[in-house]
Formats: sequence, structure tokens, C-alpha cells
Amino acid sequence: MTEIRQLTFVQAINEALAEELERDENVFIMGEDVGSFGGVFGATKGLQQTFGSRRVFDTPLSETLIVGAGVGAAIVGLRPVVELQYSDFVGIAMDEIYNKAAKWRYMHGGVLSVPLVIRAPEGAKGGGGAEHSQSPGGMFQSAFGMYVVMPSNPADAKGLLKSAIRSDNPVLFLEHKALYSKSGPVPNGEHLVPLGRAATVRTGKDVTIVAWGSMVSRAIQAASTLAEQGIDSEIIDPRCIRPLDSEAILESVRRTGRLVLVHEAPRPGGPGAEVAALVAEHALDSLLAPILRVTTADGYFPQSVYLEKFMLPTALDIVNAVEKVCR
Amino acid sequence: MGIPNQIRIELFRQMIRAQVAENSILRLIDAGKAQVLYHSARGQEAVSAGAMLALRNDDSMFYGHRGVGHLLTKGVNPTLIFGDILGTTAGSTGGLGAGIVHVVDPSVGVLGQSGTVGGTFPLAAGVALAAHYRGTDQVVLCMFGDGTANRGTFHEAANAVGAWGLPVIWLCENNGYAVSVSQSESTPITDLSIRAAGYGMPGVIVDGQDVELVYAEVLSAVERARQGLGPTFIEAKTIRFRGHFEGDPQNYRTDSDRDFDAIDPIVKQRAKLISEGICTLEATQQIVDECESEMELAIEAALAAPLPSVARAFEGVLS
Repeated sequence: MTEIRQLTFVQAINEALAEELERDENVFIMGEDVGSFGGVFGATKGLQQTFGSRRVFDTPLSETLIVGAGVGAAIVGLRPVVELQYSDFVGIAMDEIYNKAAKWRYMHGGVLSVPLVIRAPEGAKGGGGAEHSQSPGGMFQSAFGMYVVMPSNPADAKGLLKSAIRSDNPVLFLEHKALYSKSGPVPNGEHLVPLGRAATVRTGKDVTIVAWGSMVSRAIQAASTLAEQGIDSEIIDPRCIRPLDSEAILESVRRTGRLVLVHEAPRPGGPGAEVAALVAEHALDSLLAPILRVTTADGYFPQSVYLEKFMLPTALDIVNAVEKVCR
Repeated sequence: MGIPNQIRIELFRQMIRAQVAENSILRLIDAGKAQVLYHSARGQEAVSAGAMLALRNDDSMFYGHRGVGHLLTKGVNPTLIFGDILGTTAGSTGGLGAGIVHVVDPSVGVLGQSGTVGGTFPLAAGVALAAHYRGTDQVVLCMFGDGTANRGTFHEAANAVGAWGLPVIWLCENNGYAVSVSQSESTPITDLSIRAAGYGMPGVIVDGQDVELVYAEVLSAVERARQGLGPTFIEAKTIRFRGHFEGDPQNYRTDSDRDFDAIDPIVKQRAKLISEGICTLEATQQIVDECESEMELAIEAALAAPLPSVARAFEGVLS
């Protein structure tokens, strides 16, 4: 019988890494401060002590090296799990992610595989400012040779990360920093979650709320408030940006006729924009109201913790949007 | 301790293969059969032949965009190369039309090439990291030009490779020009190899027009790397005889009055083999004839293969 325990999100990540290091000799971890220090958010805590400095090691402060050397080791058969200390650093290693990790297989006729995982803590938490707070997943919607994963809870974080490490394709694995300390049930033993399959977090008949990452818990909160008003919300957590479970979303929207998209990235180029286009193309005739988006305000995060919180979408924002489309 | 005669002849043969293959590609372009942007390696054959012959089959290499000779000497079947030039399914990429830039053959250590120059520096570090991780004595040779040497990726990769003592040979083919911009306009130093000191590795200069010197220098760096003594930076001073690309007006060049015959690596090696009595003139001509036949057959095979179906353009994106 599978026992359920409570783990924090970061413990779940740590457990997934430990299990995959144990399972497969080809798996190794490198990045800035991931060694004896255990990672600036503690995700690799204790792993170097357990698996040694051959399997878990620090790199110089060199993001193009971290990702690019990960690609190099992957094309000759290892399974590197590399860490970018903040997901904003995808900008530094953009060529290595977008042009190398995602395209190397295609450009070379499908001869080579790139089984690389790039872990990258994302999102606003505690005044990181404009370069340490972003949610860049949407930027990689056209990275066709790569997966982009955004877990919203500890169980998914563990199961998706283990699947990502076992995947023969490169994966950008985005972990929201505000989720790290949140607890949730995680099954004991082997726990895998397939990449590209959405989770229906709540079933409902009046409106479909598609929420990613840190916004899923706010959508759940909003749904309780809305239920008191007699509005029955369905919540879908796509869990990934690529592959996107478009079938699950379309099926739900066809039933409810209403769609609210919720993510922490701003509107332009965020993951919701593509979903809105998809629904407009394939399910417009099912829509009873315009599609609405609830996102971080279009702009940059200020360094001020005080101002930061006004940028982020709240459960009340989701409630207001749903009320508007259900009116 | 000289280079065995057999290898000295082989070095000559590999330069001829590169030259003949390039001439064939230029003819295919002129005839309208190949639609590729081609970057000539004429004048630089000693670097590719000397470097690649110093490697083992299971060593890896990342080449540059003038890579036809590098690929051939590393062991890629010429039919695969011509297939990639012609865009037929005989190419290593099965019809994607990789040109010279994306030829791949992991069975001989050719792991592809970056379209964005300098993209392979971190990848080379990663392949060397894998060899180190597995405890093999394989080495990685990473080729690049003087222009590409200015990419920031070199700094990140060379620093890590130096810190970790990884088995990489950084081989710079310094032909003095990054497309149209001369080295003196883009860097404050004359010898790029002095940068090696900053990464804790030896930096050496070799005459890139002398295939035997290139071979000996690369071989000694390879031996160092195999013994776990870490990376080496080799700067081969060379010159490209033609434009950066075919059709390049070359109005920026200040060295066009040079006597290319006097610094032609192929002319030089042929003269050496003949004057030292290792080969007769006839024997060197026979090598040329053999290479021409080899390339003719390869072109025929590549031309005989069909173009891919349109579906090919969408294949191989994901595993």
C-alpha cells in the first residue's frame, strides 16, 4: 500500500534527485553552490555528502558553461541535472538552451539525444527585483525540441522531476521559489508523473480556470469563495508549458464555456496567450464569454518587497475575473 | 624522434582529400546542383589534416565552418558529407541538407557543430567532462577561428576545463580575419595563445602551413590530455586563400599580394616528400588520382539518393 507523507516542495525535489542519483550511475548534478553548500534554496542539501563530489559538484559562476557542458555530457550519454541558480539566468545561457539543448538533436538529423534537465528556481519572492523574480517559461513555447515543466505542489514536483531526468529530451524544470517551503502529501516509494499531462485539480461546470505553478493554490482558494456564491469552477493545472495538454483544456472549455487563465508571468508571451489562441482556434463556438487572463501586471518587478506584492495576482483577482465571465 | 614516413604520406593524402572534396563541392555549387553557403578551407588544410590524424577514432572533435577536411580525416564517409551538401537522404542528417555545418557521425567522434560560432566551447567541456566522469582516456579537440576566439563562451569553458583539468585541446585556426574584420582591429594582442596562461594551461604557437608541425604539436597535447595533465591551447597561424564565403569580394584584405604558392601547405608537403625521397612525383600524383576517384564515387552515391519527403523537415525534433 502506498503511504502518503507530508513533504515540503524542496524536500520533494531533493528526494527525487537522491532517488535518481541512486538509480542511475549516469545521472550527475552540477551548478553554482549545489555541492557541500546544498544549493542556495537547499534543493541539493546533503547530496554531495551522500553521493560524493564526482556525482554532485560545484561549477564556476558560468551559466553558458553550466548549460552547454550539460548538453555536451548529454549527447555522449550521461544524464546531467544542471542548476541555474535563478531562472532569470536563462537570459545568460539563452543560446545554450534555445539553440543547443533544444535543437542539437534536430539539426543533426535526429542522430543524437539530449537527456538534460535544467533546474531553475523561478518567480517573485521577497524582493528579488527585475532580474531575480521572473517566470520565463513562456519564452520557450517555440523551443520545439525541449520540454518546459512547472510543478505546483510537492507530489508533482517529485514525480515530474523524476520523469524529466529519465526523459531522453531536454527539460527546463521551473521551481517556484515561493512554493519551496509549502508542504503537501507525497506518495511513498516510486512516484512518477508523466510530462505533458494536465491535472484536473477541481472539477466544476461553470468555468474553466487554467492555472500554472504558484497560481494553482490561489485558484483553489478563489474556487472556494466562488462556490459560496454558487459558481462551480473547474481548475486545470497543465503542469507543463511544453508539451501542453491541449486536449484536457479544450475538453473542459467545451463543457464550461468559460475560460480564465492564471499565471505569474505577465500577459504578453506568457503561457496563457497561447492557450487563449488555441481555444479561439478550436473552441470559439463553445465560449459563452470572452477569455480573461489574470497575471502579474505588465511591467517589471521592483526591488521593494512592499511594491512587489501589488504586482502579483491574488485569489481575489481570480474571483473578480470569474465573476465577470459568469455574469 | 621523427614522424614515420607512412604518416607523413598520410598527412599529405588527407590534405589532398580535403582539397579535392572542396573542389568537388565548388563544382557542384557552380553547376547549380548544391545550394549551400560554402566556406572554403583552401590554404588551411594542414591544420585539419595534422590535427585530426593525431586523434583516435573514439576521441571527439568539434570542427568549424571550414570543416570539410576535418570531417574527412576524422573518418566521416564522404558520401555522408556530399549528401549533406546536396540535401539528399544520403547525408549524415538524412536529407536535412546540413551543409558542412551540421554533419554528424558519433561512431567516429563527430558530435555535430554549432551554427552559432563559439557554441561548441561549453559543449566540448561537457564531452570532456563525460570522459573524465567515466574514467576513460578519450580526449576532445575543439577547433575554432581567431574571430570565434572572442566569444565569451570560450572564457567560461576554458576556465572550467582548466580548473577541472579536463582533456580538451583548444585548437585555434588563426587566419587573421573574422569575415572582414582583421585580428588587429578586434583584439589587442597578436598571439591569441598567450590567453592560455589565464586558464592555467600551456599555450603554444605552431606554423599552420606545415602539416607535420601541426601533427606533432597536437599529438603532444593529446598525450598530455590522455595522461590526465589537462588542456592545451594551440594557435595555428594560417591563412585562407579564398574569401570567407564563396562570392566574398575580399576588398578588406591587405595580404592579397602574398605569394600563396610559397605558403601552400600542400605544395610544401609534396616538395618535402619528394626531396627527401619518401615519394616520387608520380606517387604523389597517384594519391591525387585516388582521392579524385574516391570523391567522384561519393558524389555519385550522394546524387543517386533521393531528396527527402517534406515530412523529413519535421522529424527528429524530439526523441
